[in-house]
Amino acid sequence: MVIRRRLLTVAAAGVTAAALSFLGSAEGRFDQKLPADRQILQALNRLTFGARPGDVEEVRRMGVQKWIQLQLHPDQIPENPALEEKLKPLETLHMAPEEIIKEYPTFPRAVLAARIQPLNALVSGEQMRKIQTGTAEERQSTLMALDPEKRDKVLATIAPPLIENFPELKKEAEEARRMQQQERQKEQRRLNPTLEDLLNPDQAAAARRGNREQLADLFSYLDPEKRELVAGALPPQALAEFPEMRRLGMKRRQPQQVVTADLREGKVYHALYSNRQLEEVLVDFWFNHFNIDEAKNLMNPQASERPLLGSFERDAIRPHVFGHFKDLLLATAQHPAMLYYLDNWESMSPDGVDQMQVGPFATPPPPPGLPIQPQRQAHGLNENYGRELMELHTLGVNGGYTQQDVIAVARCFTGWTIKRPFTDPQFVFADFMHDRGEKTVLGHKIAAGGGEQDGLQVIDILAHHPSTAKFISRELAQRFVADDPPPALVERMAQTFSKTDGDLRAVMETMFSSPEFFSEGAWLAKVKSPLEMVVSAVRAAGGDAIDTSTLAQKIGELGEPLYGKIDPAGYSNNGVGWLNTSGVLGRMNFATALVSGQIPGVRLDSSRWEGQDEAVIVRDILGRDASPETQAAMEKGLEDKQASARLLVGLVISSPDFQRR
Amino acid sequence: MFTRRVFVRGSAIAMAGLGAAPRWLARAASATEGKRKILVAIFQRGAVDGMNVVVPFSEKSYYELRPSIGIPAPGSNTGPIQNAVIDLDGRFGLNPAMQPLKELWDKQLLAIVEAVGSPDPSRSHFDAQDYMESGMPGKASSDGWLNRALPPAGPDASPMRAIAMGAQLPRTLRGDRSAVAVNDARQFQIGNPDAEAIVENMYAGTADAKLARPGKDAFAALKIVQSLGQQNYAPSGGAQYGPGGPLGQSLQQIARLIKADVGVEAAFAEVNGWDHHGNENPQLSNLLRQFSSALTAFCKDMGDRMEDIVVVTMSEFGRTAQENGNAGTDHGHGDVMLALGGPVRGGKIYGQWPGLEKEQLYEGRDLAVTTDFRTVLGELVSTHLGQKDLSHVFPGFEMGQPLGLLRT
Repeated sequence: MVIRRRLLTVAAAGVTAAALSFLGSAEGRFDQKLPADRQILQALNRLTFGARPGDVEEVRRMGVQKWIQLQLHPDQIPENPALEEKLKPLETLHMAPEEIIKEYPTFPRAVLAARIQPLNALVSGEQMRKIQTGTAEERQSTLMALDPEKRDKVLATIAPPLIENFPELKKEAEEARRMQQQERQKEQRRLNPTLEDLLNPDQAAAARRGNREQLADLFSYLDPEKRELVAGALPPQALAEFPEMRRLGMKRRQPQQVVTADLREGKVYHALYSNRQLEEVLVDFWFNHFNIDEAKNLMNPQASERPLLGSFERDAIRPHVFGHFKDLLLATAQHPAMLYYLDNWESMSPDGVDQMQVGPFATPPPPPGLPIQPQRQAHGLNENYGRELMELHTLGVNGGYTQQDVIAVARCFTGWTIKRPFTDPQFVFADFMHDRGEKTVLGHKIAAGGGEQDGLQVIDILAHHPSTAKFISRELAQRFVADDPPPALVERMAQTFSKTDGDLRAVMETMFSSPEFFSEGAWLAKVKSPLEMVVSAVRAAGGDAIDTSTLAQKIGELGEPLYGKIDPAGYSNNGVGWLNTSGVLGRMNFATALVSGQIPGVRLDSSRWEGQDEAVIVRDILGRDASPETQAAMEKGLEDKQASARLLVGLVISSPDFQRR
Repeated sequence: MFTRRVFVRGSAIAMAGLGAAPRWLARAASATEGKRKILVAIFQRGAVDGMNVVVPFSEKSYYELRPSIGIPAPGSNTGPIQNAVIDLDGRFGLNPAMQPLKELWDKQLLAIVEAVGSPDPSRSHFDAQDYMESGMPGKASSDGWLNRALPPAGPDASPMRAIAMGAQLPRTLRGDRSAVAVNDARQFQIGNPDAEAIVENMYAGTADAKLARPGKDAFAALKIVQSLGQQNYAPSGGAQYGPGGPLGQSLQQIARLIKADVGVEAAFAEVNGWDHHGNENPQLSNLLRQFSSALTAFCKDMGDRMEDIVVVTMSEFGRTAQENGNAGTDHGHGDVMLALGGPVRGGKIYGQWPGLEKEQLYEGRDLAVTTDFRTVLGELVSTHLGQKDLSHVFPGFEMGQPLGLLRT
């Protein structure tokens, strides 16, 4: 690779203004218009996950306003066929939650088979009480009265201190535990054979080394069943070049983790490849606005948000990001993922009856070998959704609601639950859980005797509240314009929101056509989030991904685990918090890994920079010239060295300049 | 477990005497370094249910308010498995999952402050965390109390004087003083030294004020961490961080940096997942087991260094006194804080208990706040860190009489 060493500083003259924009406050400069070239870059920086080679020219050809209009109407943009191709193997993205629950259960067969039978499946409730909390005599006599085979199972299960003082039982228990352990291992081995069980020693060694050609040969030679077993027996690193095999292997071992992996990888693919870039930015923005953590309820062995989350994004968020806010709000309010995450599915009137097989009273199917869960005794209100609905989803924390409003809203939503959370997770209104009393929400009387309508009325009140118009407008402006957006712009967006019944496309038109959006005050005003940084780096460098799992993992390491923000507020829209010591080093390490081919599944083609000037390469990646300081640091550091295009690209991606958009 | 006696510090000096020790270690072993006081702040994000952490088991109303999640009073165990409160003083006791901390209590190294919290009534996680981290309830501010608590940096102040474990620098540590976020020690092992020097210069020269500081701090910290080498860390005193979960991992990294004498004065770690609106007890007990185990491991690992260390724990607010409809609790008000370490006058419960009768509860539903969280932190800052003037650490706050948490 030869590139031309040409003084980087040739273009420095035009850069001073950009550098200046960091100095002092941006206030007052929201009325200074950006030059035309920068308007193009500004639009690309804000409406996409970063410009690819050629994007600037395309926008220039089309005209910025026309290009923005097109992005606002994604149905007029043909989707990239490469994206659909790449998403195909991520099967769970195309499945309904109930299918996912069936096909990708919480526990794989091997774990279920190996699970010890719980005490409550072995003995009666009374026997259990005597063994666990009874007197020493009760315990001993209950255990001795069991037939020997059952006693062994019980002894292997109970906590050792319970029989500490009975030497014979203690000895028997030790033996029983040992036997059980052996049997479990045998069963595990049968279901999850090791490489040595499956392959001859030479093949096993080759598979472990993970050499691409050898593995490809091996896989083509094995029958599908065996191929899957081999994939399951290999560590994921060995399958870096075979994402589909890695996925199958993971499906055998930890089926539900595939669901999260599909989501994460799918998100990165969408961001990298979709032609409908604004839609992807908005899906990310609105998912985060209505954030749900995929792992909140993982401790519950029978149900969690995980199998519901893909549907939440696909069916509740995506269809509404260019629609009316009220529809988006209602879709999230009735989605089982939200009902589950913010606990509304269990919230009920204290006077409710509980003999119905619905919602929290549906009997969970006991998976083989797992403890039979007692039915939840859900009686009474849960305020969680009521509060976050107002604080985070609509009015904002200073939007003018009180604790009394939180309680009233929670009462209105009692009965909004999930039909069969463990098998058929669908929204249902359960009349018997509903609080039928009169409520007052933000000054509005909601008459006694209502049903599902009470919650719908609250959605209506909140969606049309002036605080909501302002809060949503500010959040959007913070994502698209500046961390501290000009109040006048937020006000105009809020007016559009109110005038158009919360038409989100109209609100965005107000924003994108505003002088503030194309002002010096907004230029490079945002620090990229880890997702934006990683994706924009791959896009800028013209990279191609056949696997995005490592990229998703890097985004998590940089502080933004995808679908993994535990609290309902989501990640901050304020960009500056992202950059700290850990972020600076992490981003530099990512850049180094990316350009040196150490991100499995991602390839960079640097041939287009063959024979180019260094300055051209820098401009290709940044879309503009580097700041004089960045240029000077590169000049000095590369002075007497032969720099490769890859090193240069890595430096630019690490630079302070690239961290902004 | 470390002893109470005042310890003549010797380990660092002895190592420096071997001649092979790096320069920072020799510097660290000097007399002033040996007396450096360290404050470790731990934030339990999500609002921990203080009443099921330190249980007011002598209050009849506690069991009336919590028929399904009340933790059985001490001595109500019939079997050998501990599921009842661990009695501390006949009135309050620890959640049974916190058994490891009982030893620290018995050695008078653990103090508990009851009914503590913010004067601000917010029940928003986000706002309340922000207020507690800024130390300025009800006000908008951009920096944190622990950053303001550090004295201005002298010429040889360590770039690692304030460290936080996590990908983000928490509000608590943001501000004028240098502070370093350490997410993953691997981030501090740079793959390409040529690139490293150039990128360091880019950040050193940048006109982008918001990025210049983290850049400068990052590369200064990088050099220190690199000097520690890459060998595996072996905790002392038989400490095991594994059972401590993610908090255990964070405390292990803090311990490693403290023991390397890189000049740590303040450290921050956080632990998520305390927002238990439903099915609270199993989740809480799991988290508390990790929490207690992490704290105990840290104390063991620090050994005699604990003479100069105070660990304080906090959470944005407590939870409703009454359980909700789902064997959980909703957002409340007063909560509990723990302080532990050599300087702590432990084995005692501090603060005034406001009671659980309806008229004693805040807004008729939550434990009232009788001690401002800044009273606790203020004492630690003034007595332990030696920052006597609290007016810029907690602006507008009149602290009044300290609780006497620390030996003076």
